Amino acid sequence: MTANELWRTYGTGEARVDALAGVSVAFGRGKFTSIMGPSGSGKSTLLHCLAGLEAPTSGTVAIDDVEITQLGDRELTELRRTKIGFVFQAFNLLPVLTAEENITLPLRIAGRPIDQQWLDQLVGTVGLAERRTHLPSELSGGQQQRVAIARALITRPAVVFADEPTGNLDSKASAEVLGLLRHAVDDFGQTAVMVTHDPDAAGTGDRLVVLRDGKVEHDGDVSEANLATLLSSR
Amino acid sequence: MTALTLRGLFARKLRAGLTGLAVLLGVMMISGTYVFTDTINGSFDKIFEEGAKGTDVVVKSKQAFTTDSGTLPPSFPESVLSKVDTARGVSEAAGGVIDYASIFLPSGKQVKTQGAPPLLYSTLPRRFNPLDYVRGKGPRTDKQVAIDKGTADKENISVGERIKLVGKAPAQTYVVSGIAKYGDVSSLGNATIAVVTLREGQRIADKPDQLDQISIGDEKGFTAEQVVRSVQRALPTSVEAKTGQQDASDQAQDVKDSLGFLNTALLAFAGIALFVGGFIIFNTFSITVAQRTKEFALLRTMGASARQVLGSVVLEALLIGVIASAVGVAAGVLAAKGISALFNAFGIGLPEQGTVIETRTIVIAATVGVLVTLVSGLAPARRATRVPPLAAMREDAARQSGRAGHRREIVAAVALVLGFAIVLWGLFGASGSTQVLFTLAVGAIMVFIAVALLSARLVGPLASGVGRPLEGLRGMEGQLARENAMRNPSRTATTAAALMIGLALVTFVTVLAAGIKASVTETLDKSFTAELVLQNTQGSFNPIPEAAGTAVSRVRGVEVVSPLKSTNAKILTRDAGRTVLSGVEPSTITRVWNFDFKNGEAGTLSRLGNSQVVLNDQYATGKKLKVGNTIQVETSTSAKPDFTIVGTVDDKSGFFGKGIVTSSVMRTKFAETQNFFELIRTAPGANVAAVQASVDKVLETEYPTVESKNQTQFKNQIESQINQLLALLYALLSLSIIVSLFGIVNTLVLSITERTRELGMMRAIGTSRRQVRRIVRYESVITALIGGVLGLVVGLVLASLTTVALENEGFKLSIPVLQLVAFLVLAGIAGVLAAIPPARRASRIDVLEALAYE
Repeated sequence: MTANELWRTYGTGEARVDALAGVSVAFGRGKFTSIMGPSGSGKSTLLHCLAGLEAPTSGTVAIDDVEITQLGDRELTELRRTKIGFVFQAFNLLPVLTAEENITLPLRIAGRPIDQQWLDQLVGTVGLAERRTHLPSELSGGQQQRVAIARALITRPAVVFADEPTGNLDSKASAEVLGLLRHAVDDFGQTAVMVTHDPDAAGTGDRLVVLRDGKVEHDGDVSEANLATLLSSR
Repeated sequence: MTALTLRGLFARKLRAGLTGLAVLLGVMMISGTYVFTDTINGSFDKIFEEGAKGTDVVVKSKQAFTTDSGTLPPSFPESVLSKVDTARGVSEAAGGVIDYASIFLPSGKQVKTQGAPPLLYSTLPRRFNPLDYVRGKGPRTDKQVAIDKGTADKENISVGERIKLVGKAPAQTYVVSGIAKYGDVSSLGNATIAVVTLREGQRIADKPDQLDQISIGDEKGFTAEQVVRSVQRALPTSVEAKTGQQDASDQAQDVKDSLGFLNTALLAFAGIALFVGGFIIFNTFSITVAQRTKEFALLRTMGASARQVLGSVVLEALLIGVIASAVGVAAGVLAAKGISALFNAFGIGLPEQGTVIETRTIVIAATVGVLVTLVSGLAPARRATRVPPLAAMREDAARQSGRAGHRREIVAAVALVLGFAIVLWGLFGASGSTQVLFTLAVGAIMVFIAVALLSARLVGPLASGVGRPLEGLRGMEGQLARENAMRNPSRTATTAAALMIGLALVTFVTVLAAGIKASVTETLDKSFTAELVLQNTQGSFNPIPEAAGTAVSRVRGVEVVSPLKSTNAKILTRDAGRTVLSGVEPSTITRVWNFDFKNGEAGTLSRLGNSQVVLNDQYATGKKLKVGNTIQVETSTSAKPDFTIVGTVDDKSGFFGKGIVTSSVMRTKFAETQNFFELIRTAPGANVAAVQASVDKVLETEYPTVESKNQTQFKNQIESQINQLLALLYALLSLSIIVSLFGIVNTLVLSITERTRELGMMRAIGTSRRQVRRIVRYESVITALIGGVLGLVVGLVLASLTTVALENEGFKLSIPVLQLVAFLVLAGIAGVLAAIPPARRASRIDVLEALAYE
């Protein structure tokens, strides 16, 4: 997946803000990339543009060699069904569905058959085998987010986007959730992109992109990034 | 605080608008009803006022009471005129005939008056004449006729053309000599006026040397009252004098009285719509208060008192109520036109003269509208005051559990039992139709509220029942729709209950109508031994001339022609009150009708004397009248003959009223000179179809206002009359159903606002707009079907109870399964329609905004 010369401009004249000012990044297959940056750096806008939730003012985004910035609603819907998985900060599970129903929801939306083996494996991986029939209100925050991760993985998407997935969790639950994402990348070859402002979370990734004022300030392996960079980008 | 309320109201325009509409429609109906009936009454005032112009004093036969059958007061001898003419203070007096005569065009087509009278007047001297000729002039010879402008315009009749007039005498052709306006009255509704010379009028009306009215002009120096007194001294006791003004207002009052039920009935339908609207207001405010919990809590943390919070919600309700009522009152003027068009479409034409908007209309409609809104908004407003300031901090404050408390269910159960008890008491215990209807209404309202409260419990199973098939059909969307409907049971229940009310009433009238049809058919099959019936071409409520029967009796193949008269009478014995009596020809009636005697036998009727009566068995039992008793009856002509009860019959057809007397006594004592039916028995072996053809031939040329029906045609006619009434009721009930649909729209829109974030997530993980629309649509259909099922059940129960109570009157329980299924399907379709705006809204949710939504 690549993004090339992305610009996203809000407002005009005096009030003009460049949320993205020429961002170009490439995300390798089977890699876990963290995006960091201070508030207003454009990291959320970048994620939205990458996921096709928001159209950039100019520039291109390609997922599996498909250019997505010009797609209409119908094609974008199809793209979300097949290529993209989402994990939100606020879990966003449907309160009326059980854990398992929430996990399989994307398949049912797309009208695709459920791969029972894959489902069982995922449920086992996220550690919710005992809680398949529980409603979200009966699960802890960490458990809910694990359901959300399983939901994002069930369609075997080209890329999973996680938007501050640990933002609402305590440190123990955060560690579990990050471990799961790591596990998905290592064991299932999943590509993952995570926006976070937690340096510990960012450290879980393979690669770190740091944005500041809509521009890429750092792009490299997590190990290369020094602590100072990470801390200053909170 | 006030500014905040106003701003909030403005920010939620759609919700406020839909809530307002729920009130608006009811208010519109109230205001429309008053405008409609006031306009009609005003028109009649005007018509009678015009008629009395120039007439200082009027002489007419006394009438103890007016009859529903529209029977005119009896006529009096022409000789009375000469006595009046010489009375003190009379400067000019002229006699006139007032009767009915139908107009037939040269093509042979009858000008149908749709229930309005086809008036026949004789010419009057200029002084008394209310007619202004716009073309031609009044009739000078017995072969001329003048007609009213409305009829001339509608039917394209011009001066010089030939038309036929048909009254009691055989049809006759006349030349149109003039076309006239009735004073300043622009519309007489569907009534027609034909004016002929006095002599010709007496001939058409079969009133030789008789008059119906004498118009008198005072001599200078006399007041109308003085002339009334001097004229009265010259009159026989059965005839009275009144001032022209008095007569006009008496006549207008009679019309108003007989149309009074219309006002009440229409207001009842407005009441139903408002009641349904109340549910919707209650529901909308309940939901918004729940959604705004955080806002209220925040206000409380900033020091707002519970009172201020209450005030802000009540103010919102008040504003919606006031605006909606104001618009509703104004829209009522249009609604009045709508009601008038509706009645016209169903064959009830009433005159309209300008539009009468009384202060009373505005005051009542607006007050009721504001009160309904306030009362319905009060409970939710009080709930708002119970929001603790701490709720501002809680994340899921808005997601209050909608589970019904136990207390509420107990209250509902008690209300349900009590409601049914009141209904039962109304059906079996109450006496007098006003009391019965009132208790029924109170009972039904309690039942509706109780079912609405209880149905929160039923939403789960019902949603499963109606939702499962959908789910099988549309997996994910179906399941989500069902789960969403069950998410807040009391919200879904109240929304569905609003629709339930309308559907319950529709079911109720449908089942009752089916029962009536079934019983009429059964009675006719059992009792109706005649092969043919003669009746008025304008329907069986209009009389036919006696001579028509005589003419038909000469047709080959006709063996028996038996007349049936009908009239209103007052039974003075035991204060039994107003009722309907029938008049039959004793020698022939048992050959055309098979009576079910409870006391006596067929001979009792065939030997019925002029001072004997056979009573309806039910009626006799109810009034504790027995065979051998004598009853005194007051007729509309103020005669008070006595009748001895010689038998009782069980009659469920309603053809014979509450009692049967001879037709000759009805002619002499009750002044009923016309028949309502002639029942015809054909000769043994005769071909009924051939006889009917010959009968029709006679009628066509001589009595074109009379038509024949065979048994099947007659049954079909009764059925179609019932269907027509049913259609009118449906049209009037549709208003409350429309209101309840606004309720579904409103609830869904509010629920969608609540679920914005969820919907955003759904879209983000690949749900298409179409799928989002489907989820909303199915939830709407499920809600509508819950309302439909509840409505059918409640309606069926109420109809069954009523049928049992009225079994003695011949009601039978007959469940029109197909129609009821059709209602459910229609409820489902209504659900689809109601889902259109919310579904569109849901599918247009912006994913990014939704995910950031709070």
